[in-house]
Amino acid sequence: MKIKAYASVFRMRWKMEIQYRGAMIGGVICQVFFGLILVSLYHALYDGKPQSIPMESVSTYVWLQQAFFRMLLSSDSELAGKIRTGDIAYDLSRPLNLYGYYYVRILALKLMGSIMRAVPMLLFAACLPKGWGVMLPVSGGALCCAITALLVGLCCVCALENITMGITMRTLDPKGIQSILNLLMMTLSGNLLPLTLFPDSWQKVITMLPYAQLLDAPIRLYTGVYAITFAPRVLLVQVMWAFLLGGMGVLLWRRNQHRLIIQGG
Amino acid sequence: MNTIKLYLRSMAILMKCQFQYPVSFFLQTIGQLVMEGGEFLAVLLIVDRFDTLHQWTPGNLYFFFGMMSVSFYLTECFGRGVTGNFPNMVRTGQLDTVLLRPRGVLTQVLCSAIDPRRITCIAIGSAALVLGSRLSQVQWTWWKGLLLIEAIGMSMFLILGLFLIEAIFCIYSVKSVEMVNALTYGGRSACQYPVDIYPRPLRTLFSAAVPFAMTLHVPAACILDRSLYGWPSWTAFVSPLSGLVFFTAVYLAFRKAILHYRSTGS
Amino acid sequence: MRYIEVKGLSKTFTVRKRKEKGQLFREKTKVRALDSVSFSVEQGELVGYIGPNGAGKSTTVKILSGILTPDSGEVFVGGRIPWKERREHAAHIGVVFGQRSQLWWDVPILDSYVLLRDIYCLREDAWKKRLDELTERLELGNLLRTPLRLLSLGQRMRAELCGSLLHCPELLFLDEPTIGLDAVSKLALRDFLHEENQKNRTTILLTTHDMEDVAALCSRVMVLGHGNLLYDGALPELLSKYDRVRMIRIRYEDHAELGGLPERCAVSREGQDYLIRYEPSKVPTAWLLSELQKAGSIRELTAQQQNIDHMIAAMYREMDL
Repeated sequence: MKIKAYASVFRMRWKMEIQYRGAMIGGVICQVFFGLILVSLYHALYDGKPQSIPMESVSTYVWLQQAFFRMLLSSDSELAGKIRTGDIAYDLSRPLNLYGYYYVRILALKLMGSIMRAVPMLLFAACLPKGWGVMLPVSGGALCCAITALLVGLCCVCALENITMGITMRTLDPKGIQSILNLLMMTLSGNLLPLTLFPDSWQKVITMLPYAQLLDAPIRLYTGVYAITFAPRVLLVQVMWAFLLGGMGVLLWRRNQHRLIIQGG
Repeated sequence: MNTIKLYLRSMAILMKCQFQYPVSFFLQTIGQLVMEGGEFLAVLLIVDRFDTLHQWTPGNLYFFFGMMSVSFYLTECFGRGVTGNFPNMVRTGQLDTVLLRPRGVLTQVLCSAIDPRRITCIAIGSAALVLGSRLSQVQWTWWKGLLLIEAIGMSMFLILGLFLIEAIFCIYSVKSVEMVNALTYGGRSACQYPVDIYPRPLRTLFSAAVPFAMTLHVPAACILDRSLYGWPSWTAFVSPLSGLVFFTAVYLAFRKAILHYRSTGS
Repeated sequence: MRYIEVKGLSKTFTVRKRKEKGQLFREKTKVRALDSVSFSVEQGELVGYIGPNGAGKSTTVKILSGILTPDSGEVFVGGRIPWKERREHAAHIGVVFGQRSQLWWDVPILDSYVLLRDIYCLREDAWKKRLDELTERLELGNLLRTPLRLLSLGQRMRAELCGSLLHCPELLFLDEPTIGLDAVSKLALRDFLHEENQKNRTTILLTTHDMEDVAALCSRVMVLGHGNLLYDGALPELLSKYDRVRMIRIRYEDHAELGGLPERCAVSREGQDYLIRYEPSKVPTAWLLSELQKAGSIRELTAQQQNIDHMIAAMYREMDL
């Protein structure tokens, strides 16, 4: 019963994405343009200065980041709107697993939105010459690990977003805290500058943070920066974060719900 | 003169509104700090790793970054009506009210919003500018100061023009505004760095079509006692004017577009 | 002197339909909002402009006020073509949308009026005089320092009116001004509009669904439907055509047998009362009364005219709107 309800959330999302094809095409063009600019920039930087990380790896990093960009940004504007107008109060007083419902909603939003965009973008990037586009994964195993890591990473990010929403329900100001977290995300997830190009000492810390779990970890597995023998450790960190953040979110939402019922009573 | 008075009075009222929600305002201002801080951090880290970029020293790179940052966020601060509110005005029919008043549409739209939160971004940009000019050991003279102001002012026209294109798209109710976003935000990201590092197609785009190279990079290079395309230094005073040309062209199109505005609601 | 002169006004909108399943491109359909409408309004007239939703009322108002550009037709308002001389035109007209605000949401309304003074380039003393007059007549005096968002709907409407009359417009468009107002505010607003029209000879064009407003204020109505002007004249004359139905409310002492009434009378029950609608031209009243008397012993009986909304509904039905 419950699974069915969650599945229908996914289906609805998929339909919506197909309906707004115009916006999607615009988004893809925008992201491709950004990708081209960034790859050109790194080419200029690499010019005459060979680095430990090969150029192909960096360009692959850039393209994968751009392709799955949609997963990074906080996405559920409807929920944010509900919080602002106070309509969330109705939802919170319902006997429904709200955390689960919104978790799945956000997951569906991010997954459907980015798959539709990622496929055409990666096809385009694959056609570019070596060092400008996406390279093939180092091995089939690496690809499997990367996909698994991407999915677990996605769970982390959704949990993180639900925490943000939980906090927003208290402060009632979706813009403030959300913009801060969004922007931390842009920097610490490697979208602005590949995390592989950060100073090595920084990388040790940053790669452990939840922000790096979404895209950085899978991309490193894909490009072979992390050897396949390293994969279990990466996945372990991810799963740990997913549970930790999920748990925190559930607690926070439960307390919000509790507080609201007390206030309402 | 009257327009300036109106603008100032509008700004005073808008600031009053902003400070009615002080906590939200404060948090959002911090948010901006994180954003622009992140962008600048990326440049710092790139410099840390790669040291130089073609002929440009770290100080030069900071200077370019600062120029772009200051121009972009000044535009977003004072041009908020165009950069942020316009799509909403079209969607909710608020543009009706604007059209009912005996003033120019663009004047009123510009008067309708200000975004003081950008002050932190502008501060970071200015810091980068100062740091860059120190490290590059720029000898400041009065004409260099004038050139800096001209470059930033003209770039603001260019950026406002880009946002105005977006506004035109909105009037014709074209959904894929994100394509224009590519030019606006993509242009900002790309032209934080001097344009001559890019391959030819991008260089042409940002020199001829969306002339950030003309409004920002040529004068910046001149201030840094270098030359972008090997052009003589007097060109640095002329090339930024392309920003104004760009803006005027878009503005004329905007005026035509307003006639096609179809209001919403019954 | 003719103040508004409209000849052959037409406007078509292109509406993109939603995609249906399996359809690649959206269909575009053209909707004629206005189809060659012509009328004129004298200076100082108070005209009601009615018609069902989607008839093209707002489109007309938006064209007359310079927001929209029509496809074809001639329009002169005070000798100006609204969309060609938008700024000059705007200085001479005032518009109030019942559901949209033109004042600033978060600031005291006085600040809004100061800003309007600068927007309309009004002279300080003239503005002050007019503001004093309007605040007194609209009873806004002690609300001037309150932000708009804290005002009640009735207060807000008065504030909006004040805002749109500050520059002494020659022509005032009112779009649903009494929507959502309570009875007291409604009556006060009508009085004010009447006075404004008499005193300053302001031409007023009132768009509304509230027929009471029209009946109380307007000497003339124009009915618009499907983009065509269907009627232009006095309201009583229009109504007399559709004022055919009478209604009898009747209560019996106990059970009554009304089955014998002809089918042309609509009988319905409302609690203990029976409501009988009939057309005197078709069913003689004397006969009906005798039938009612035969049916049982009557405790109470009232005869009523139909209310104005029913007449308008009948009119719209007849005109196939």
